[in-house]
Amino acid sequence: MALLLRTVARQGLYSSRSQFGLVYRHAAPMGTTAKEEMSKFWAKNTRLNRPVSPHISIYRWSIPMMMSIIHRGTGVGLSGGISAFAVAALVLPENYPHYLDLIHSMSYGPHFLAFSKIALAFPMVYHTFNGIRHLIWDVGKGFKVPEVNRSGYVVIALTVLTSVALAAM
Amino acid sequence: MAALTRISAVCHRGVRPLLFRSSLLIRPVAAQKDQDSPYLISAKIHATPSDYAASGSKAASLHWTGERVLSAVLLGMMPVAYCYPGPAIDYSLAAALTLHGHWGLGQVLTDYVHGDSKVKMAKAGLFVLSTVTFAGLCYFNYHDVGICKAVALLWSKQLD
Repeated sequence: MALLLRTVARQGLYSSRSQFGLVYRHAAPMGTTAKEEMSKFWAKNTRLNRPVSPHISIYRWSIPMMMSIIHRGTGVGLSGGISAFAVAALVLPENYPHYLDLIHSMSYGPHFLAFSKIALAFPMVYHTFNGIRHLIWDVGKGFKVPEVNRSGYVVIALTVLTSVALAAM
Repeated sequence: MAALTRISAVCHRGVRPLLFRSSLLIRPVAAQKDQDSPYLISAKIHATPSDYAASGSKAASLHWTGERVLSAVLLGMMPVAYCYPGPAIDYSLAAALTLHGHWGLGQVLTDYVHGDSKVKMAKAGLFVLSTVTFAGLCYFNYHDVGICKAVALLWSKQLD
């Protein structure tokens, strides 16, 4: 089976090679890399102080657009939160239960706890579910516009339900 | 057997460049005098032969794949952390979370920071942040209750 596969592939390679063989003499190697070209472009833009066309200030916002930037926002926020927690662990003198008791001992309004749990859970849950949506795109599925909108609504619905369910735990 | 059919389909459809290292752009030119030449007469082409391709590395592609694999692994860690809390999952979470955040913030930097020196500085700052984050999480896992227990304790305060 593997042998068959190799012969077929080799056949494809050989037939194309004979065609391109006589043409290689005209090949001109590229002078710069894509990265270099991109840097030169940006450097020129800043040097000439070129104005940027309005984009997000004029383009009509859509649900997929908003969900995408929220995915990025929650990602940055969660990462910042984790980093802050890590720095606090290194810097603060007492251990975790000590500070937790401190927070628990503070008096607060009736629904403060439920609200804070939802507020904590929401970014993580949203980022997780939208992350799954991204992974599905990465295997190539669900790119049609109606599918994009539908999966978006599913993510929003699941996020709301799961955040509330987690807060109730 | 299905794989075999797929390869032959790709070959016959003339997507031959896929099997080639170099990327070739060919513009077919109408044959003026050489009417008897059956081959595709090409004009100027740009080719990136594999021996020239210093920038032909698969680093970016592998990085992309690595990011997705890590995301999937992190996703799988969540139920494990819930069902089997302990030091093993604590340290695994510390590593996976830090790396996922590092790569994610790296993409944000690539999108919004431009200019060689600014990119270098931002990447250096990010590296420091990620290192400190990982160090802090490992310290927490070792000297304190650990990530799983911390989440459990935080959530344990019941609603009145």
